[in-house]
Amino acid sequence: MARTDAVAEQETLALEAPGRSLVRRILWGAAHLISIAALVIAWEGLARSGTFTPFVLPSLSSVIERIWSDAQSGELAINTGLTVYRALVGFLISAVFGILIGLAMSRNVVANWFFDPVVSVGFPMPKIAFLPVVILWLGVYDVSKITMIVVDAIFPVIAATVIAIKGVERELIWSARNMGASDRELMWQIVLPAAMPQILTGLQVALPLSMIVAVVAEMLMGGYGLGGAMMTASRFADSRGVFAGIVEIAIVGYVLVKGMSLLRRRLLIWHQEANEPTTA
Amino acid sequence: MSNGQPQIVIDKVSHMYRPPRGKPVLALDDVSLQVGTREFLALLGPSGCGKSTLLYLLGGFLPIEKGAITVDSKPVAAPGPDRGIVFQHFALFPWKTVRDNILYGLERQSMPKDERLARAQSFIDLVGLSGFEDSFPSQLSGGMKQRTALARTLAFDPKILLMDEPFGALDAQTRHLMQGELLNIWQRTPKTVIFVTHDVQEAVYLADRVAVMTARPGRIKTIVDTKFDKNDPGIFKTKVFVDKVDELWGLVRDEAIKAERRKV
Ligand SMILES: Nc1ncnc2c1ncn2[C@@H]1O[C@H](COP(=O)(O)OP(=O)(O)OP(=O)(O)O)[C@@H](O)[C@H]1O
Ligand SMILES: [Mg+2]
Repeated sequence: MARTDAVAEQETLALEAPGRSLVRRILWGAAHLISIAALVIAWEGLARSGTFTPFVLPSLSSVIERIWSDAQSGELAINTGLTVYRALVGFLISAVFGILIGLAMSRNVVANWFFDPVVSVGFPMPKIAFLPVVILWLGVYDVSKITMIVVDAIFPVIAATVIAIKGVERELIWSARNMGASDRELMWQIVLPAAMPQILTGLQVALPLSMIVAVVAEMLMGGYGLGGAMMTASRFADSRGVFAGIVEIAIVGYVLVKGMSLLRRRLLIWHQEANEPTTA
Repeated sequence: MSNGQPQIVIDKVSHMYRPPRGKPVLALDDVSLQVGTREFLALLGPSGCGKSTLLYLLGGFLPIEKGAITVDSKPVAAPGPDRGIVFQHFALFPWKTVRDNILYGLERQSMPKDERLARAQSFIDLVGLSGFEDSFPSQLSGGMKQRTALARTLAFDPKILLMDEPFGALDAQTRHLMQGELLNIWQRTPKTVIFVTHDVQEAVYLADRVAVMTARPGRIKTIVDTKFDKNDPGIFKTKVFVDKVDELWGLVRDEAIKAERRKV
């Protein structure tokens, strides 16, 4: 389905006059929201049909009312802000150190010898198992939550960086060497940009992972934040509050992921993929 | 240069590729070749005979495991801008525009910024890419990429040019223009050129000597003198020229047939 859509879209884009293609694009973008709209309508319909009690399934409209009142009391801003702050700080630390470790592993035998087993064992492991240890060592505040995020999100970045650098065409490196590039210039000016598309793919995995771990850590450690607020609501049998949390998490996650793919298009303006129309 | 030794001396060089899987491939076997200062040498040979490999060794990209290569009496140890290479598959930096690709080599030489920009622009104009300075390689045709690669290497003015089928992606017309520009540069500035091509006529026209290689493992089969007056526009029709082309065609065809037979 997605594939045929992409093909159909390319064809229509090719046939359209440039002026109308913008309208088409917007309509097409809207069409992508149909599945979400269907879900929303189904939720509201089901809740109103009386099949479930409002406690089991509160209607979407009442949940939105709840989000609105949270927004006015300032609760929403604090919880969302904290969760996004933790997720982004954890993500940024993972990105910087993940890329640096990946670079070091590709460049240096000792670094590779040291980190390779760590990555092989650590990547598939459920890192949430470390949570009790992290709480013992670092407490239940931001530092421990962010640590949990980094411990999870750094692996896809390291793996993507190592694979990306392995895949850099040798002729690109040779041609830079031929023009007199030093080791350092080669790393930062040639290898890293050449590896960038795949590294960004790793970052695109790490970002939603950061968000997920942020929410889970908040749920398990309590306190402010979207995850913590949901647990509190659940304890007080506040089902609207729980569902409000789900909607908020969905929206925040969507915005983060969308922002990341916009960033990707920006950074890879030179890449083949930037020249082709997309369905997103 | 001065002590009477040719500028480039390739002495009994062999090269074996050892892929991580599969069996080793002997690409070059006991190749010896000498190229004088300011000489234009063309390399002809069937596909897969090791022409690119020989240029990679000269460029210092692959280790020389057997035999020796010296340039100006010094053994080749690492790549350097004294030996500029134009890669068969261009090897442009895809994240840099045409202009920035060409500037990359110039930035590594001590040259004021406006001089660099002017020099880059003059080579962009030379290869006919004016108007595409800010395009990325992914937005260019094959021939345009090749011309960018050509401009990039010519711009940093190496004294030795290693060219791996540098006109292979060009149409006949552009190819003819580029041949003229290359000869121009070669006659104006002191340069030694090693030029790989599959086009026999091009080899005979451009080169002082043509080295014909055997099918894999590549060896030097013969070297033929091909000094013609390059400034004579009617040269292509003269009998000596046509005979030379025929002679070389025969040699290359024999090797191509051998290479073809071996596969079966
Ligand atoms: N990286 C490699 N690993 C293994 N074998 C290789 C590698 N590169 C080249 N070869 C082998 O070495 C031989 C010579 O290759 P080379 O690229 O030098 O040929 P060529 O003369 O440039 O051919 P063409 O005219 O098609 O460009 C080929 O037979 C090829 O199979
Ligand atoms: Mg080749």
